[in-house]
Amino acid sequence: MTDFANADADSVPIRRRRALAPSSNGRPWTFYVLATLFTLYVIALYGPMVCIYILSFQDVRGGLVFPMRGTSLHWFVDLFTQVRTGDVKGAFSRSIRLAVVVTIITVVISFLSGLAFRKRFAGDSVVFYLMIGSLVAPGLVLGIGVGLICNVLGIETSWYTTALGAQLSWTLPFGVLVMFAVMSRLDSAWEEAARDLGASAWQTIFLVIVPILAPGLVAVALFGFTLSYDEFTRTLLTAGSLNTLPLEIWSMTLNVTSPSLYALGTVTTLISFIIIGLCLGTIARIQKRRVSGPAVH
Amino acid sequence: MESKANGRRNSPGWLLILPLVLILVPFFIVPIIGVVVASFVQSDGFGGIIPNFTLDNYKGVFTSGLTYQLYWATLKFSVFAWIFSLLIGFWIAYFLVFHVRNPLLALGLFLICTVPFWTSNIIRMISWIPLLGKEGLINSALIKTRVVDQPLDVLLFSSLAVVIAYVHQLTIFMIVPIFNSMARIDKRTIEAARDAGASRFEIVRFIVLPLCRTGIALGSIFVVSIVMGDFFVVKVMSGGGSASVVGAFYEDIGVLQYPTAAASATILTIIVLLLVVTILRTVDIRRELTR
Amino acid sequence: MGKDSDKTGKSVAKEHLRSRRQLLKDAAAVAGAAAGSSVIGAPVIWAQEIKDIELRHVGVSYSVVKAIGDQAAKDLGFKVTMQNLDTSAAINRFITQPNTVDIPDLEGWQAKLAAKRGVIQGINVKKVKEFDNFLPIFTKGELDGQKIPRQGISPYEAMYIKEADSTDLHDGVTDWATFLPQVYNADSIGYRPDLVDHPVTEWKDLLDPKYKGKAAILDVPAIGIMDAALCFESADLIKYGNKGNMTKNEIDFTIEKLIELKKSGHFRATWTTFDQSVQLMAAGEVVIQSMWSPAVAAVRVKQIPCIYAPVNKKGDKEGYRGWCNGLGLMKHLSGKKLDAAYEYINWYYTGWQGAFVSRYGYYSPVPSTAKKNMTPTEWAFWYEGKPAPEEITDPYGVPMEKAGIVRDGGSFLERVKNISCWNTLMDEAAYMNKRWNDFKVA
Repeated sequence: MTDFANADADSVPIRRRRALAPSSNGRPWTFYVLATLFTLYVIALYGPMVCIYILSFQDVRGGLVFPMRGTSLHWFVDLFTQVRTGDVKGAFSRSIRLAVVVTIITVVISFLSGLAFRKRFAGDSVVFYLMIGSLVAPGLVLGIGVGLICNVLGIETSWYTTALGAQLSWTLPFGVLVMFAVMSRLDSAWEEAARDLGASAWQTIFLVIVPILAPGLVAVALFGFTLSYDEFTRTLLTAGSLNTLPLEIWSMTLNVTSPSLYALGTVTTLISFIIIGLCLGTIARIQKRRVSGPAVH
Repeated sequence: MESKANGRRNSPGWLLILPLVLILVPFFIVPIIGVVVASFVQSDGFGGIIPNFTLDNYKGVFTSGLTYQLYWATLKFSVFAWIFSLLIGFWIAYFLVFHVRNPLLALGLFLICTVPFWTSNIIRMISWIPLLGKEGLINSALIKTRVVDQPLDVLLFSSLAVVIAYVHQLTIFMIVPIFNSMARIDKRTIEAARDAGASRFEIVRFIVLPLCRTGIALGSIFVVSIVMGDFFVVKVMSGGGSASVVGAFYEDIGVLQYPTAAASATILTIIVLLLVVTILRTVDIRRELTR
Repeated sequence: MGKDSDKTGKSVAKEHLRSRRQLLKDAAAVAGAAAGSSVIGAPVIWAQEIKDIELRHVGVSYSVVKAIGDQAAKDLGFKVTMQNLDTSAAINRFITQPNTVDIPDLEGWQAKLAAKRGVIQGINVKKVKEFDNFLPIFTKGELDGQKIPRQGISPYEAMYIKEADSTDLHDGVTDWATFLPQVYNADSIGYRPDLVDHPVTEWKDLLDPKYKGKAAILDVPAIGIMDAALCFESADLIKYGNKGNMTKNEIDFTIEKLIELKKSGHFRATWTTFDQSVQLMAAGEVVIQSMWSPAVAAVRVKQIPCIYAPVNKKGDKEGYRGWCNGLGLMKHLSGKKLDAAYEYINWYYTGWQGAFVSRYGYYSPVPSTAKKNMTPTEWAFWYEGKPAPEEITDPYGVPMEKAGIVRDGGSFLERVKNISCWNTLMDEAAYMNKRWNDFKVA
C-alpha cells in the first residue's frame, strides 16, 4: 500500500485526498466482493443486450437467433425506411413521445401529491388507498373499462389522450410512493430557515425543496419513463388506432418478427449512452468550475 | 410553533391532491366500479350481459381448483422474484452508496444500470432466446469451455427462465428506493458506530437495514405488484409450461366472457391490495411522512 | 348550360360523380363479372372527394399487413391505416369500441360474435364485383359437388345473415354477408424430415413416444385443443361428435390426455410466438409440432429441411384444420366512407393482395385474379402443386425454394378439399379455457 500518510498534503491531488477519508486506509475486502457482484450484475443486465447488438448486424437473411447470418447494416436501414412487418419506426416515436409526457406529468403530480400528504387532510386515507388500488388493479380490465366508457360517451380513444391517462394511473402510484419515502426525510428546518429569510411559499418550493429532493425526483422520472415506455396491458385497449411500441411488437409476434427490433435496441442504447455521457460530462465540468473557483476552504 | 408555521404556508391539501384525484377518477375508479358490477351479472355467452344479479361468477372462481393453482404459481414467482431482486438490489445499492466514493462515478454506474431499460421490455424478452437457448450464447460458451457437454435445457422455457426474466426486469425497482433510503443515512452515525467498535456486518444489521426499511418496503411493493399483474413474461418465458392469474383471464376476455374475467380481476385486486397493505403495516410510510 | 354556370364547380362534379357511380353500381349489379385487374372507382373526380377519407383496418398481423394497406392506398387514393393487434385484443376492440374501427378483420367465429353484438353491418354481396368468382367453399359451402365439413365454424356457415342488420346467422345463401373471406389456409403439422424417420401423413405421429421431449403444440386454447383432438382421433383414442364444438366430457378427455403427455415429458414446449415455433424447429429442439405455413417457409429459408405434413382425410379421420380471415364493415360506416369501404373491399379481390398472400403460403378466395398478379412459376408452385420451374422467393425477395420442389400437400384444391374442421368458438369456450389452463399449470 502506498504511503500516503507521510505524503505532503498539498502534493496529493484533490480527488485522492478526498478518497483518503480518515476512517480507512484503503479498500476493505468487502469492497472487492461487492465490486465483483456489481460487475456480474452489469454483465447479467447486458447479457440479452449483447445478443441484440450482435444480431442487429445480420444481413437480409437474418432471424432472431444465433447462428448469425451475414454482416450488414440492412436492418438499420430497414428500421428507418421500409417497413417489413409492423410499423416499428412509427410506434417507437409514439412510445417515446408518450413516455416523455408521462414522465413530466408524473414528476409534477407526484411532487404536488407528496406535498399534499405531508399534512393530514380530510379523506387522505381514502385517496391513499385508492392510489394503491390503482397500482394493484389488473391493467387489462381497466383498459377495457376505459374503452367502454369512451365508446359510450363518444370520446375517441387515442394514444395521446386515453392511453396517456391509463398510463398515468399506473405510474402515479409509483411516483407518489417514492415521493413519500423521499419527503419523509425532508428536514423542515430548511423550509423554516427559508421562510425566516423571507422566501415566499413558491420560492421555498422551487429554491429549497426541489433541489434537496432532486435525487428523489430523478428516481420518479426514471420510473415514470421506464414504466410508460414498457406499459402494455393498460395501453392495449386505450391506444386508439395507432399502436405504441409494446403493442406493435406484441402483435408482430403472431407473424415473422423482423430483426429491425434488434436494430432499434442497438440504436436506443447508443443514444442513451451518448446522452448519459453528455450529462455526466456537463456535471463534471460544472463541478470542476466550482472547485477551481474562489477558494472555499 | 411548527403548526402555526405550517398553517401560514398552508396550500390547502385538497388543491395539491386534486391532479392525482382527477387522474384516478376516470382511469381507475370508474372502470373498477364497472368491473365490480360486471362481476355480479350473467354473461349471455356472446359478450353481452344479462342484468341478473348472481354470485355464480365468484362461486366459480372460488370452487375451482385451477384458481388456487394459478395463485400458487403466480405467488411462487412473486416470492422468488422478490427474494432475488431484494438480495441483489440491496447489495448493489450498498455498494453504490458506501463503497463508491466519487458521487459522480456512483451516478455514472447507476445510469449504466438503467440503459437497458431504454430498450423496450418486449424486445429484451425476445432476446432471451438467443442468450439462453440451446444454440444461444450461454450454452455455446458452456460447451466450448467444456463445463457441460450437452446444452442446458432448463435455461429457457422453464420456471427458472421466468424468474431470471423477472429479476432482470425488476431489480432496478429495488435498487432505486433502497439507494434513496441509504443515501439519506447520516454518515456520521456509521462513523460513530465504527469508532465504538462495531464490525461492518453489525453496522449493516443494526444501522443500515433498519434505516432502509422504507426503501425495502417500497421496492417490495413494486416488485409484487408488477409480478402479480403480469402475464406476458410468464407466457413467453415458460414456453406455455406455466400459467398466471392475469394470463387466465386474458383468455377469458378473448372469448368475451366478461363476468368471469371481472370476478377474477376483482379477487386479484383484493388479494394484491392485502399483500401491499401487509407490507405497509411493517413500515408505515404515511406516518413517517406526516411526523 | 346557363344553370350549370350558376352552381359551384364542386356541385357540378358531384352530380357527374353521382350519375357515374350509379352507372357503375348498375353495371356491377347486372354483370357481376370481374373486369380484369382494373380498379373501379379510381377516376380523378373521385380522388378529390375521397382523399380525406381514412379507413382504419384492424386485425392480426398475418392477415392485416401494412404493405397491402399501402398498396391499396396508392391504388385507391384514400388513406388506409392498418393496425395490428392480437386476436383477443382485436375482438375486444370491435365489441367495446366499435367506433374506433372501420374495417374489422374477422375470422368466421368472430363474425358470428360481432353480428350478435350488433357492431357490424351486412355487406351487400351484390356490390362486390368478384363475389360470383369466389370459391364455392365460401359462397355455397361446397367444392366440386362435395359438401365442406362443418366441424368448427366454417366460413360458409358464418357468412350469411338475412338482412343488413340481422344479428343471427342464416343457414343458406342470402344477399348479405357478415364478412368476406380475404385470406385462408389449411394448417397441419410441421416436421424435420432429417430427424423423423418416415414421411408424416397422420396427426397421430405427433403423439408418437419416439418423439418424446421433441414435440410441441401451440398455446392458443381454441386452436391447440383442435390440433390435439385431431391427434387423438387419428390415434383412435376417441371419436368426437364435433371437434369444433366439444362437449364437456370430450373436453375433459382431451385435456386429461394432454396433461398425461405433458407430465410424461412429451412436449418440449407449448409455443406462444410465431418465431418460437420457427426457432424450435430450426434448432432441432423439436422435430414435430403444430405449425403455421409461413413458419415452415421461414425454417426453409434457413436452409433447414422442414415439411408441412399432407394430412389428407382418411375416412372420418385426419384432414387439415382450416382457418379463414375476412373483411367486415362496422355498423357506423355510412355515406362516402361506406362507399370507400366497398371500394377497398373490391380492391382486395382484384388480384394484388391475392398474389401477395400466396407468397406466404396462404390462399386468396378468388384465385383467378390472384393468378393474374403472380408469375407462372409462382402460380405453378403455390396453387397447382407442380414442381417449381425456377427458384421461389418469399414475399420480400429472399430465395426460399430451389427449382423442382413441390409444395407440401400438393395443389390447393387437394389441400382445401381435405379440410376436416375449421377454427372455432365453442359453446363451452369458458369451460375449455379453464381446462386449458389446468393443462398449462400441470
